[in-house]
Amino acid sequence: MRSNTVGWLMLAPTIAILGIFGIIPFIYVLYVSFHQWNPFGASPDMIYNGANNFRRLVFDAEFLTSIAFTMKFAFFAVISEVALGYLLAQLFMKEFPGRGFFRTIHTLPLIVAPIVVGSVWRLMTTPSIGIIPYLLKSWFGYDLNIGRDATAAFALTVIMDIWHWTPLVTLTLLAALLALPKEPFEQAQIDGANRRQIFWHVTLPMIRPAILATVFIRLMDALRTVDEVWMLTSGGPGAATRYVGLHIWKIVFPKTDYGYGAAISVIVLYLTLVMCWLLYVALVARRERKRTF
Amino acid sequence: MQEPFDPGQIDAEPEAAPPTRTGFLPITTNWFDRVFVGIYLFVALELFWMRFLEQSIPLMVCHVLAIALAVLIVWRG
Repeated sequence: MRSNTVGWLMLAPTIAILGIFGIIPFIYVLYVSFHQWNPFGASPDMIYNGANNFRRLVFDAEFLTSIAFTMKFAFFAVISEVALGYLLAQLFMKEFPGRGFFRTIHTLPLIVAPIVVGSVWRLMTTPSIGIIPYLLKSWFGYDLNIGRDATAAFALTVIMDIWHWTPLVTLTLLAALLALPKEPFEQAQIDGANRRQIFWHVTLPMIRPAILATVFIRLMDALRTVDEVWMLTSGGPGAATRYVGLHIWKIVFPKTDYGYGAAISVIVLYLTLVMCWLLYVALVARRERKRTF
Repeated sequence: MQEPFDPGQIDAEPEAAPPTRTGFLPITTNWFDRVFVGIYLFVALELFWMRFLEQSIPLMVCHVLAIALAVLIVWRG
């Protein structure tokens, strides 16, 4: 009995914060999603309209396109961040001069606010004044113009996200690698395993939980990215980088269609949960079941 | 005089993990997992119906089917 009381008391602040800032707003958004609501319009009252917002959403080509772009963005960004993060973590495991300095400096992007990251990248990629178009032009003769070239704009949003968030992956995987016991590696070496075999059969299974946690965090973040992309491309050219977060922003603020924006938010949350759950099933739950039977 | 602290007392009666089982779903689940999957599929079916079938079959049919599916998953999943 005592253990329960102590446990609940220790959890109480977290539960209170989660309730106030997570659960209650979610319930409110869910409630709004079943209403037509334009608080700045002629009729500022909420009008119940059943599932009409969701009905509108499944036929909304702009929304469906933004979902497809967001998935593509999340896929490329998360895969690259995990791969690069792992390589950097392995690098920082080795002894080399200035390791401490590089370990510190490589985390600096994490302390920069996303809106600042977006504006810095915008300055660096603006055709007339940016360093990146200048160097690409003088070295390779490539004319970078993210205001015109949709593929380049998409690639740059991915690169910017990788630049900003790979350090987080590196730190997480570095912590996981540093916590691994030495014995399994020594045993594998004694048994004659090569580096590739050690990676696939020892390192990877042992750091799987850390990789999974990192992928979940980054996937959720990538699916709701707004501010960086807003500063860099504003969703353009056309709708090439209009990810779903930007789409929601445009529906809710410039168009002040709060009900429809809330419905899209609910569906994005739903998709995020589904993707994370499917990933969990594919990587963890099925494996556990295989082990059980 | 204050009693000495016994660290073992805190974990004296660990709570049992929620009961899990294997139904027709491809993973071992507890009741929360099954409710979760039931709600997922309920929403997915509703959206699919609104997009492709509502023109010819009323949404009420979907409500009934989706609720039946959710109950089946919670009960037998």
